[in-house]
Amino acid sequence: MQCGTALILGLKTILQVCSVALLELDNLNIAVASKDKLLPVVHDCSLSLAEHETLGIVGESGCGKSLTALAIMGLLEGSQVKITSGSIVFDGQNLLEMKPSRRRLIMGDRMAMIFQEPMTSLNPVYRIGDQIIEVIRQHRRISNQGAKQRALELLELVKIPQPEDRINSFPHQLSGGQRQRVMIAIAMACDPALLIADEPTTALDVTVQKEVLDLMLDLQQRTGTSIILISHDLGVIAETCNEVAVMYRGRIIEKARTRQLFSHMAHPYTRGLLASIPSVVTDTDWLEAIPGRVPTIDEQLSGCAFHPRCAHTKTSCSQTEPPLIEVQEHHAVRCHFAGEI
Amino acid sequence: MTVRATIYSIFRGRKLATFGALWLCVIAIAAIGAQFIAPFDPLEIDPIARLTEPGLPYLFGTDHFGRDTFSRAVYGARMALIIGFGSVIVALVCGGLIGLLSAYFSTLGHFLMRIIDVLMAFPALLLALVLMTLLERSVLNTVIVIGIVYATTTARIFFGMTLKLKNEVFIDAARCSGASHSSILFKHILPNLWSPLLVQASFIFAFAQLQAAALDFLGLGLPPEVASWGNMLAEEKIYITRAPWLLMFPGALIILSVFSMNLVGDAMRDSIDPRFKNDIAGV
Amino acid sequence: MADQPLLEVKNLSTHFKTKSSASFTARTVVKAVDDISFHINPGEVLSLVGESGCGKTTVGRTLTKLTQHSIGKALFRGQDILPMSQAQFRPLRREIQMIFQDPFASLNPRLTIQQTLAEPLFIHKLVSSRDAAIQHIKEILEKVGLDASIMKRHPHEFSGGQRQRIGIARVMIVQPQLVIADEAVSALDVSIQAQVLNLIKQLQRDNGISMLFISHDLGVVRHISDRVAVMYQGKIVETANKHDIFDNPQHSYTKKLLAAIPKVPTYQGALSHAT
Ligand SMILES: Nc1ncnc2c1ncn2[C@@H]1O[C@H](COP(=O)(O)OP(=O)(O)OP(=O)(O)O)[C@@H](O)[C@H]1O
Ligand SMILES: Nc1ncnc2c1ncn2[C@@H]1O[C@H](COP(=O)(O)OP(=O)(O)OP(=O)(O)O)[C@@H](O)[C@H]1O
Ligand SMILES: [Mg+2]
Ligand SMILES: [Mg+2]
Repeated sequence: MQCGTALILGLKTILQVCSVALLELDNLNIAVASKDKLLPVVHDCSLSLAEHETLGIVGESGCGKSLTALAIMGLLEGSQVKITSGSIVFDGQNLLEMKPSRRRLIMGDRMAMIFQEPMTSLNPVYRIGDQIIEVIRQHRRISNQGAKQRALELLELVKIPQPEDRINSFPHQLSGGQRQRVMIAIAMACDPALLIADEPTTALDVTVQKEVLDLMLDLQQRTGTSIILISHDLGVIAETCNEVAVMYRGRIIEKARTRQLFSHMAHPYTRGLLASIPSVVTDTDWLEAIPGRVPTIDEQLSGCAFHPRCAHTKTSCSQTEPPLIEVQEHHAVRCHFAGEI
Repeated sequence: MTVRATIYSIFRGRKLATFGALWLCVIAIAAIGAQFIAPFDPLEIDPIARLTEPGLPYLFGTDHFGRDTFSRAVYGARMALIIGFGSVIVALVCGGLIGLLSAYFSTLGHFLMRIIDVLMAFPALLLALVLMTLLERSVLNTVIVIGIVYATTTARIFFGMTLKLKNEVFIDAARCSGASHSSILFKHILPNLWSPLLVQASFIFAFAQLQAAALDFLGLGLPPEVASWGNMLAEEKIYITRAPWLLMFPGALIILSVFSMNLVGDAMRDSIDPRFKNDIAGV
Repeated sequence: MADQPLLEVKNLSTHFKTKSSASFTARTVVKAVDDISFHINPGEVLSLVGESGCGKTTVGRTLTKLTQHSIGKALFRGQDILPMSQAQFRPLRREIQMIFQDPFASLNPRLTIQQTLAEPLFIHKLVSSRDAAIQHIKEILEKVGLDASIMKRHPHEFSGGQRQRIGIARVMIVQPQLVIADEAVSALDVSIQAQVLNLIKQLQRDNGISMLFISHDLGVVRHISDRVAVMYQGKIVETANKHDIFDNPQHSYTKKLLAAIPKVPTYQGALSHAT
């Protein structure tokens, strides 16, 4: 008996060691078809996410955060956005080589997504209970009664008060925060291994945002789900994630453990971003804003994507694009002068 | 956007619409140069050549007075353009103003839009018939009546679009700058309605043709001596078995022209401002 | 005269009557702004913070008379603006200006930048000729950090940050006394937001403008304001000096709000979340 337990435990450890990375993106490139050419929007994106971890992706509007998330979920199918090269390995399988029908089985079951707009991502004409039940029954052979039972549990899990009554509500009868909770409930319906949250709290008030984020972390504690949290708010990322990837114009320009990143920011853009945020704890008289503007995707730029706005630009910056290099263990930076400035 | 770029964006990849536009050009040329193109006087009666079959010199044959059908068809194109442009102007000016003002001044709107609702309760043709019986048959009256009929739908459409625009932030911004009502209406709102206005015009143009033909056919439209496609149908309907070409040619012209105008209208609607795509559903 | 507030709002309420979903005839009253009082001194920035739907925008729109249905008083230099008709209020519009949230919606897409900026100049008769107007526009564009060559272009050719600069130029060109900024930087990216905040602060200081700065971002509020008013469900629950609000909040809602803000760690600061 004891021997068996030990064996299982041992097996578990081996399995864990083997599958440290639940998700691995390798040199993913995404381009948008416009008129007659392909405009690259995401360049050589490499990420890996271990089990039970929370990865934050932060960056300004239009830098490619959502596209990366949609690519992982397989939701770019049939749009003018194409994955041009690279691989997405989930659970040891390359998703890009998988048949669409098999991939659909994974979507919503093993991986799930929460979108930014709690107002539009629920169907207004169905009761929320039915929307949860539908997702469950798509992936599980379960009776209607069983699914309803599970829906009630889920609503309780996301702390919707009086789930027995609320299960019959229509989306418009709920507040923004409650709707986002229902979205989380739907995403968590099949205990996904990976949850992608694309700006889940941007449309919500700070007080509600805190509740929603706390809820997500709490669920993670209980179920061990890995989370990719996309945000443009460094504060949100700092408070919730173990690891951070900073994106600028389709490239990951800095990637590190959260603690590491905030104790030593290596890329001038990341530093500029932090300096741009007015603090709530100390007084600031003047903000160190990054000059210039975010280039649009159809602007051609040679060399480092950030060089026109960077205070430390040297000639080599405008000539060759820097690779993503590790400056420390777990800390990679895409800058020619990462160690020096 | 330049005129050329606009035209390109409307017709690019839309073969049918391009065909429609070309056909309309043919009609326009016929209308403008009618006296040079038509080989005979459209009103000249030739009792000897009654009901001649199509051939030379009477391309489309002759009617029961011996008038040349081809020449009458060419002059009919001129009438079609007059009716079309006339009704478009009446409908857009009346309907557009009513819609614009009703949406902008809500008290006035409550009153005016109820009247529009009542008028819209009548089928278009019935309303036109009622109005025509009150007036005498003339080109001007036909234009006015058809214009009024389509002013009702135009007013409804403009009412909706102006309501939408009125709540746009840039209108609030203009009010904060101290802009007067007329400046807001005509400088800020109206220019944003130009493209839907054009699309609406093309639909009215097409439907005015059908409406005019129907009125002519029922003997309540243009005066009988005027050479119009509708009148040609009305006068020759009893000869349908003996001289079917008398009905075939004007009938085909009406169908082809209305169809072309609708095609062009559809193409224009598809290429305009997506905000208004759902507002314009035709007339 | 010197210590008289520029704007004094007394017991202002704005109620909307809306159709209830319960029945066709029943109407419910939304008390968007419910009996609030505050004042703004000359050259001072007062921030208005609070959760979504608490009535911040409605306060701003009531003070610029974009929204009617209000009771109470709003004394601008001692003169109550609320009972005025639009025509009576028009001369005062030059002095009370508004910056809007959405830089993509607040510029008329059909007008060039020059037309947009010239409009208030001509309405308020600040210039007599076209050349003088262009001269003015050039100056103001330079002040907001834009090139004079953009005058002939349309709004769609600009990025969000640039459009917001144009919106600020439209406000500043008439040299207002009071600027109401409704979430003026919320729609902008962080790095652009910092530029625009710097610009607003600089223009406000240089011209001694009073400002009502409406925002839900407390970091931005701490950065820009002198005093802060916290709104909750249509009422102002706390008004105080900014240091008192942030370091010594009194009302429970203010405390809750401050506790909820995700904090960005500084280089020295410790991480609040254990990794
Ligand atoms: N369906 C599409 N067709 C064309 N271009 C697209 C499409 N989706 C995204 N893009 C472009 O790709 C770029 C990256 O978009 P993405 O949505 O990933 O940005 P994001 O980082 O999520 O920004 P945000 O913070 O605004 O959500 C943008 O410049 C966008 O304009
Ligand atoms: N024109 C209107 N008719 C009816 N109700 C309205 C109207 N305008 C605003 N309201 C209501 O008044 C309340 C306050 O709205 P307001 O827009 O002032 O909030 P806010 O504090 O600006 O919120 P946010 O931070 O989301 O912009 C809301 O409940 C809103 O639904
Ligand atoms: Mg996005
Ligand atoms: Mg608001």
